[in-house]
Amino acid sequence: MRFNLGFFLTEAFKNIRLNLLMSLTAVTTTFICILVLGLGLLVSDHIQGIIGSVREDVSVEVFPPDATSQELDALANKVEGWPEVSRVTEVSEGEAFAEFKDQFKDQPDLYKDLDQGVLPASVQIQLEDPGTANQVAEKLKQEGFTEDDLSYPQQTIDRLNSVTSVVIWGLYGATLLFLIASVLLISNAIRLSIFARRQEIEVMKLVGASDGFVRTPFVFEGLLQGLVGSLLAALAVIWINYLFIDWAHDALPFVPVSDAAVNAPLMLLTLVVAGVGIGVIGSFLSVTRFLRKI
Amino acid sequence: MIRFNNVTKVYGNDTVALERINLEIDPGEFVFLVGASGSGKSTIVRLILKEMEPSAGSIFVNDSRLSSVPRRRVPRLRREIGCVFQDFKLLPNKTASENVAYAMEVTGQKRRTIRTKVPQILDLVGLSVKMDKYPGQLSGGEQQRVSIARAFVSQPPILVADEPTGNLDPNTSVGIMQLLHRINRIGTTVVVATHDREMVDVMRKRVVALDEGRIVRDKVKGAYADEV
Repeated sequence: MRFNLGFFLTEAFKNIRLNLLMSLTAVTTTFICILVLGLGLLVSDHIQGIIGSVREDVSVEVFPPDATSQELDALANKVEGWPEVSRVTEVSEGEAFAEFKDQFKDQPDLYKDLDQGVLPASVQIQLEDPGTANQVAEKLKQEGFTEDDLSYPQQTIDRLNSVTSVVIWGLYGATLLFLIASVLLISNAIRLSIFARRQEIEVMKLVGASDGFVRTPFVFEGLLQGLVGSLLAALAVIWINYLFIDWAHDALPFVPVSDAAVNAPLMLLTLVVAGVGIGVIGSFLSVTRFLRKI
Repeated sequence: MIRFNNVTKVYGNDTVALERINLEIDPGEFVFLVGASGSGKSTIVRLILKEMEPSAGSIFVNDSRLSSVPRRRVPRLRREIGCVFQDFKLLPNKTASENVAYAMEVTGQKRRTIRTKVPQILDLVGLSVKMDKYPGQLSGGEQQRVSIARAFVSQPPILVADEPTGNLDPNTSVGIMQLLHRINRIGTTVVVATHDREMVDVMRKRVVALDEGRIVRDKVKGAYADEV
């Protein structure tokens, strides 16, 4: 049989217009579910981005407890000889404080009551290759430094992971629940709209319409509702992403939030595909179930 | 054209709607199924349309045994049978002409064919001026004429009607019957289930009388009741 796209689309649009309220319900449901899914992806993308940029960090810092400047010099000289190391810088208490003041020059309240000595002196070791950071940390531990005296990327990553894994799994769980809820809500909305039109469908079947012929307009309807709902949600997610990046740059300057962490076109595509999929699958399943009954 | 072999239909466990019915309808015949409510007329119509299966016996329509027609072939079977109902069963969100066109669209006919054929058939049933009206804006008789136009637009070999005049006043009923008669005259097999006594007596066609699920009389050029 000829596939009459124009006819099916006209039918779908007519159904949407005649059942506007039901369509709005389905679109709103999709919107909310895709929005939550998108926010979940956003958070996990940014966390991955931060972990990635920390891993790219090529420095290891040593904070020798109560070290004199001679001890600092000795340490710096020794470390400079190691093959993994490209450059070593000593940072005295005063320099550390100056750097801190410089970083937060917009917020003088942060440091106006602080003493010079509050920030410890350190030796900053720049590496040739970020991959060797853990080896260098091990070597420093053999020199008598404890884990607490060191700051190197893996430490930060471990700390980040221990905090964020809980957050990320929570988000995944919430996203999964929302996805299940959205499939149920949408197929329920479609089932209601089919139930309202059950006599119509029975008549269609009586005049010889095949299951596919009855189903196609409903599937198009689900597709359009999914498309509109998810497109709006995806645009909202991307907008929220830019708001977040701007806010993070101002409020969390030492957190490496980057707009490269989120691939906006890919995010848009993923969310729209998910929404359209929910709409198509939801409507297909509920019409098929109904058609089996008559 | 239509053959019932020893057909029994039982609803639920104990409601016998049809009991060992044997009935043969030849091509081009006009047959009235008459009887009181619950005598089994509608059950016969619904069995012909394969809306349900008989409990026993076999039914042949157009030489195919209905019990061996798979579910996915039912739409094709229904396109061979135009059907008209007491409650018209029009699609409420479509105009008269869209309702008729729908029956052609399900068979995948060309838009151009549909556009020329629909006004012709609505003209034939005398509704060409109201083709853009919705069912709710039409009278009962007009709606029934739309449903006959829909049943007949693809020129199926068989047309079945279940109480087509049941909701209509006598004058309107005459028009509907004349329409069915005209459709029969061009070669369509017409089966009409009715308890419209006057109509059956006037038409003088084959009458199959049913009582409590059995055929009690089958008479060519018959009347509604036994003539003594």
